[in-house]
Amino acid sequence: MTATLKAAVIGTGLISKEHLTFLEASALSELVGVCDLSPAAAGYAAQHFKAQAAFTDYHEMLATAKPDVVHILTPPQLHKTMASDCLKAGSHVICEKPITLSYDDFKDLWEVAQQCDRYLIEDQNYRFNEPILDMQRLIAAGDIGDVQEIEVRLVLDLRSGGRFADENLPSPVHKLPAGVIHDFITHLCYLVFTFAPEAEFNRISAAWSNHGGGDLFKYDDLDALLISEAVHARIRFSCHTQPDCIAVTVRGAKGYVETDLFQPYLRCVMPRSVGKQLTPLTNQFLTGREFVNASIRNFRQKVMQKTPYEGLHRLLDQTYKAILNGSAPPISFDDMARSSRLVEALLLEANRL
Amino acid sequence: MKLLVTGASGFLGRAVVAAALQHGHQVAAMLRPKTDAARLDWHTHEAVSLVRLDLRQRRGLADAVSGCDAVVHLAAVKGGEFYEQFAGTIVATENLLAAMLEADVKRLVAISTFSVYDYLQLPQGALLDESAPIEDEPAHRDGYAQTKLIQEDLVHDFQQQHAGQVTVIRPGMVYGPDNLWNPCLGEEFGSRFLRVGASGCMPLTYVENCAEAIVLAAEKDEAVGQTINIVDDHLPSKKAFAEALLKQDPNPPKVTPVSWAFMQFLAGAAWFINQKLLKGQAKLPGLLVPAKLHGRFRPHRYSNQKAKQLLGWSPQVSLEEAISRSL
Repeated sequence: MTATLKAAVIGTGLISKEHLTFLEASALSELVGVCDLSPAAAGYAAQHFKAQAAFTDYHEMLATAKPDVVHILTPPQLHKTMASDCLKAGSHVICEKPITLSYDDFKDLWEVAQQCDRYLIEDQNYRFNEPILDMQRLIAAGDIGDVQEIEVRLVLDLRSGGRFADENLPSPVHKLPAGVIHDFITHLCYLVFTFAPEAEFNRISAAWSNHGGGDLFKYDDLDALLISEAVHARIRFSCHTQPDCIAVTVRGAKGYVETDLFQPYLRCVMPRSVGKQLTPLTNQFLTGREFVNASIRNFRQKVMQKTPYEGLHRLLDQTYKAILNGSAPPISFDDMARSSRLVEALLLEANRL
Repeated sequence: MKLLVTGASGFLGRAVVAAALQHGHQVAAMLRPKTDAARLDWHTHEAVSLVRLDLRQRRGLADAVSGCDAVVHLAAVKGGEFYEQFAGTIVATENLLAAMLEADVKRLVAISTFSVYDYLQLPQGALLDESAPIEDEPAHRDGYAQTKLIQEDLVHDFQQQHAGQVTVIRPGMVYGPDNLWNPCLGEEFGSRFLRVGASGCMPLTYVENCAEAIVLAAEKDEAVGQTINIVDDHLPSKKAFAEALLKQDPNPPKVTPVSWAFMQFLAGAAWFINQKLLKGQAKLPGLLVPAKLHGRFRPHRYSNQKAKQLLGWSPQVSLEEAISRSL
């Protein structure tokens, strides 16, 4: 019989569906509690995802359900307090990004996790999407040479509707230091480090803009340049260019690879075994074939309700296995610390590009 | 009476406030903070006070409810992501009911929908009235039906556990200026409008007729503890309604009739393939999901007898007049 961990979730907003879908299906977990301030929301999630109990007070849930693992899916302002409480209650913590609002807060929280001998994991889900893993494999095999440039572009049309554009009840993320971009910037930062884990970016410039104007959004656009000894990286966040995407391009000394996690494909332009003259034609032919395959694959994925959160399920699966085996977690201290420090550095550069 | 009307700036809410004023009531009209009140005909009426709150948070709600004789609850989110509908419909209702308890206001007229009925359990062509079965597999329905079902549960809990004096009003398809080529008639498909079915009866209620029934429900003691369906008299078939619209609409869509039997077959085949070959995992368009398709287009007969008996209501605006006023 497979060992299982008792899991609980705090917060039943949009992202909870992905965590709860995993917990409902996984043989590694037993969903013992769901908590939300709204009794109806907690009750719905508990019923829909077959949790053993619904709670409106997470302290009560920790005391009653005694979960081994707690998923914290609340607004970022609440993460540090809640995560600290969960760790001290003896639960491992998987927390949505950004795990804390500052690097110092992260170090404090990490210290608590160490004292309590518990795992502390930030959801860096896109690291675990299939195209990103494929890109890492190609780079590790030396197919594009040493990494020289990384561009990570996140485009979300947040201004034309939905919860972030709602002026009647502004989302709490608007109160974060970088406003709504703060809720997404962790993705941009960790994806850079995914392909340049050792890079020390000592020259950082960032332009934070509010092109759409108004009081609701602090910023709706970020254009940042990061330069280390050997690697250049560009981080882009835009609300104004379309279509929505998470586009990642990694350029090496010999070639480049690129993808878009919202419409997944993998384009590889690199030296081929057919010789220098025929390599460009071969790359174009293989790119064409990949786009045709991707169109069929993505249509099937859309119909079958596979979302860009496939990486989250992989991350959670690896995390639960690591906890059960006592092995290294899939997201390390360095993974979280580096992206947390980079977020802070980008914030310090507000409007200094 | 002093009525608090939630969702007062909405399609039906605007008409409910107007009807309440015609009946001589004081109205506290609840609007979201950023709603442009100037577009509301009654915003400067002396019997209207504007209450600017968002029901998704509790702050200020009890004060707003306090002193009201009844609450008419129309606020809901009909589209968008499920979790936005959940917050705008269910959490909103939860907060409103908590505020009513705090302010000791027990009288509630809650606006539900025909979408809560289980159309697949009712024989085709049968009478759909208040005794019709309620959907017991909401996961197969759209977000609107799912959230309205949970909302009805909350309202019933308020009635049973807190002695709430509740009337649930279930309007059919409310039409008017905003909703003529409506989802019970067919589906927009590019530049075309697919009219699904021909002879089936449309469960219509003109917005002003429906608003009148809702205000009467707030006034009548006989309505307490009751669930009441609202549809107009002399309901047209889908074909007749489309023809009436085409006759008067200066800019009608291009209408393509699609047989109800064909759509049933199509949805049934898609459902079979999804269940047998794809383990039910495929997300199909609503028209290809039998529970959703039947919820919108399945032909039935409808009754407004209970509304007439309990409320003394009679729809005053005829179909022709309603279309004329709407265009």
